[in-house]
Amino acid sequence: MPSFDSTAFFQQFLYDPKHPLLFNDGFFVFFFGAFIALYYQFRHNIPIRKFIFCFFSLYFFYKASGYFVIVVFIAAVVDFILSNAIYRQTTQHGKRILLLLSIFFNLGILIYFKYTNFFISVTNDFLKTGFNPLNIMLPVGISFFTFENLSYTIDVYRGDFKPARKFSDYLLFLSFFPKLVMGPIVRAHDFVPQINQPYAIKEADFVEGFFLIISGMFKKLIISDYITLNLVNTVFDAPSRYSGMENLFAVYGYALVIYCDFSGYSDVAIGIAKWLGFSIPPNFLSPYQSQNIAEFWRRWHISLSSWLRDYIYIPLGGNRTSNKFCFALIIVFFIGLFFGIILLTSISLFFALLICLIALIILLLPTLITKDRNIIGTNFNLLATMLIGGFWHGASWNFVIWGAIHGIGLAGYKLWEIIALRFLPKFKSNRFNSVLGTILTFHFVCLGWIFFKAGDFTIASTMLHQITFDLHSALFIDFIKGYWSVVAMMVLGFFMHAIPNHWANAVCTLLQPLKLGWYILIFFLFLMVYGYFKSAEPVLPIYLQF
Amino acid sequence: MVNTNLRVVKLTVYCLSIYLIISIADLLFTFPGKVFAKVNLISNLVKEPANQLVIAKTEVVVPIEIVPIQKKKFNLYLQKGKITSFNSDTNITSIKSFIEKIAALKSGKKKRKIRIAYLGDSLIEGDLLTQTFRRLLQSEFGGAGVGFVPITSQVALFRQSVAATYSSHWQDNSFKTKGNQSALYLSGHQFFGPNEWVKMIDHVIKDTSALIEKTLLCGQSSNPLTLAINKTPTIIHADKRFNRIVLRKDKSKEIEVQFGNQNVPIYGISFESEAGIFVDNFSFRGISGIEYKHIDPNFLQLIQQENPYDLIVLQFGINVMYKPETTNFSYYATSFEPVIKAFKKSFPEADILVMGCTDRAFRYNSVYSTAIGIDSLIKLQAALAYKTEANFYNQYASMGGKNALVKWVEQSPPLANKDYIHPNYRGAEELGKLLFNAVMKEYNKYTTTSL
Repeated sequence: MPSFDSTAFFQQFLYDPKHPLLFNDGFFVFFFGAFIALYYQFRHNIPIRKFIFCFFSLYFFYKASGYFVIVVFIAAVVDFILSNAIYRQTTQHGKRILLLLSIFFNLGILIYFKYTNFFISVTNDFLKTGFNPLNIMLPVGISFFTFENLSYTIDVYRGDFKPARKFSDYLLFLSFFPKLVMGPIVRAHDFVPQINQPYAIKEADFVEGFFLIISGMFKKLIISDYITLNLVNTVFDAPSRYSGMENLFAVYGYALVIYCDFSGYSDVAIGIAKWLGFSIPPNFLSPYQSQNIAEFWRRWHISLSSWLRDYIYIPLGGNRTSNKFCFALIIVFFIGLFFGIILLTSISLFFALLICLIALIILLLPTLITKDRNIIGTNFNLLATMLIGGFWHGASWNFVIWGAIHGIGLAGYKLWEIIALRFLPKFKSNRFNSVLGTILTFHFVCLGWIFFKAGDFTIASTMLHQITFDLHSALFIDFIKGYWSVVAMMVLGFFMHAIPNHWANAVCTLLQPLKLGWYILIFFLFLMVYGYFKSAEPVLPIYLQF
Repeated sequence: MVNTNLRVVKLTVYCLSIYLIISIADLLFTFPGKVFAKVNLISNLVKEPANQLVIAKTEVVVPIEIVPIQKKKFNLYLQKGKITSFNSDTNITSIKSFIEKIAALKSGKKKRKIRIAYLGDSLIEGDLLTQTFRRLLQSEFGGAGVGFVPITSQVALFRQSVAATYSSHWQDNSFKTKGNQSALYLSGHQFFGPNEWVKMIDHVIKDTSALIEKTLLCGQSSNPLTLAINKTPTIIHADKRFNRIVLRKDKSKEIEVQFGNQNVPIYGISFESEAGIFVDNFSFRGISGIEYKHIDPNFLQLIQQENPYDLIVLQFGINVMYKPETTNFSYYATSFEPVIKAFKKSFPEADILVMGCTDRAFRYNSVYSTAIGIDSLIKLQAALAYKTEANFYNQYASMGGKNALVKWVEQSPPLANKDYIHPNYRGAEELGKLLFNAVMKEYNKYTTTSL
């Protein structure tokens, strides 16, 4: 007979670094049950309801990241004070100083935790300094909540938004547990007004929330985890041991994994928020259906790309000119590109120069064709934004390379648009071209994913080598036979991705009149499928590390 | 508008209650198919009776009879970190003739080449393990050069110890292609490439003053071979069935060879200083070692005459254990034994060292754990070494025994790949050091007793 283990029971309430709290934890089921019961009980008493919400959110963060919960709290206090001070300042000069203070504070936290060791290793590499790396743990979710803090004070400074008058409002905005550790990044002007509304959920929202939670869990826990453990991780770990076919499918697999993992988790967050009466805009819109790279960025990780647009791209000059900072960054980029190619690959100076020249031409040619000088600015700003966006994901050159690929890709697409408009009058968008565009865009994005996922540059270049030179079509059948279960999972994943949005709405409409028992049945059916596929090793969500 | 907030609460509370009841019931009765075992809400709150989750202990079966031999003790194969010749008197040196040779080399009595043929599967691909073993041996006993390098290889680009580039139309005849395999080299390959070229740069030579022999290993050609060595036209004669031809002997670490239009089997190029110890890496992905039966024993003898080896290491077994549930390897016993015997016969001056395979893990009940057949396989490998009077080294025990590889994968930085088979370059470095230390133990035993 199994017996009750009281030590293990009490341990459950404490932070365990090996098992940060996630939505798929058994503990979360109890957590949510307790929370929803209390929240509902006190739904009419807004201050108590808010207190419960903040308490549970901060506790959630503690279970996910330990004592770093203090950082969240301090950041909330500092930004609450600064934002109100900015609002009250009458002079532009004073506002500006306070804003700079807030930016220094927030970026300082982010840089300290996330980039200190990277900068130490860079100085060690280039200046031969022998600094030891510091033992710094990265608090979960820091990249997300510092961005929320930043946009908040910047919005207040710009006068777009009146700061929250009550600290509890601000704390809840920042720590709202469904999105705290992995986003979506929410904006205060969308979120704060919802805090003090009555707790009301429309019938459609109940169904949609349920659908998002179950389908999100399915994407993350069943599709993504299965492909990760049975193909992606092993191949990306030692690509030279695998054929070009396995490498290629590992990349396709990863494209699906990162989408299912992150969009799945986002969907669960949005679904839970819906059930608590909060509306958070969607974070993904079937991104691999995009027909070009610009469209991809309107459908992929929307909360981040729109944040980057509003708080980096536009301040850099947007689609007009570029400011000095942007020019400096572009110059550094080209110097880095040139020396990076020479250091990392064994190609000659001439080819390194040629690659830089091609990149420069892609950025400048649209202006030479159209005589519109603004496009240079647009391209430079986009590239700079993408580089910063890449670096946001982590302190690694591979993320910068990923950002550069997308920055140049966006400029390349702009160039194509101009060429098609001016010189190819017969070019029409028909079904064939749309499909071709979708396939091309998907593969371009996959190229980026190789750098995004690979542990270092050598692994990425090995994969590219295997895919280019070791791809024997004769192995295709063997591959399918050897990995049939993974392939089946990938087919299911891509099929789900290809389903048009209105089908999901149709499913929700079908579910709406059902009795509660049916929902319970669906939940337990899902649980059994999960129980069948679940692996004992936890697969932590990819975006937990960012 | 209908407010459905109560519905959320009800659904959550109902699901939680039912889930809890199912979880408790699952702990008490276990549902058929164990559908809830992995998603049980409270399984980590209870103490299980200890024996319930343990995988049934497998019996270690060896399909060959271990006949007691006088003054020999079979169970010595279990020792970690030691090479054994199964002598019950453990003061007697194992791999003795090899140790004698390296001791003579070290003492300076005899300036000569000592060659090790390290045969293996993907574990040593890319010169992993062997590059460490070679580096440590050469720093102790002298010698410079990476040894044998095949003309082309799947991993040429990733091998750190040598940079080999080659033209694109070499034809590779190997263990894995159809055709006559009787005259393959120890690498399991032979190449044909009329008018093809190859260029190699040795990355392991640190001593810039050493004279390095760049040697071509090739088969027979009735006509003289017309080559261009570093762009200089040269004519060489390859009239024997197996030829070892020094192309250049100078301080340069690189060589480029453009072949003429003769269709002669080419094996590879070797980089060796005039004297010292050399480790030839012969890796062949996916094999179990029994493939060597295809090579003509007479041809092996010719190899030994022309390019003599002093120690032959057989690093196989991991590919025999490719299914998680396999515990009986009797077919391997019957097919690998003749291979060891053939090596013993064709290389009479060489000691044979059978390596017990490294740890490999499979997922059992979704937890990674050492292959359940590993004890049987290692015992079998040891029994073959015992029976054929070869030497044995227990790599599995040396690297940490049960679940060593799981630890290697999970530690930071990891020592093994996530396929739970292959140590990565850090792990291979560790294995190379362990093997070197085991050799040094025999060497020290020998030098202290012979003084």
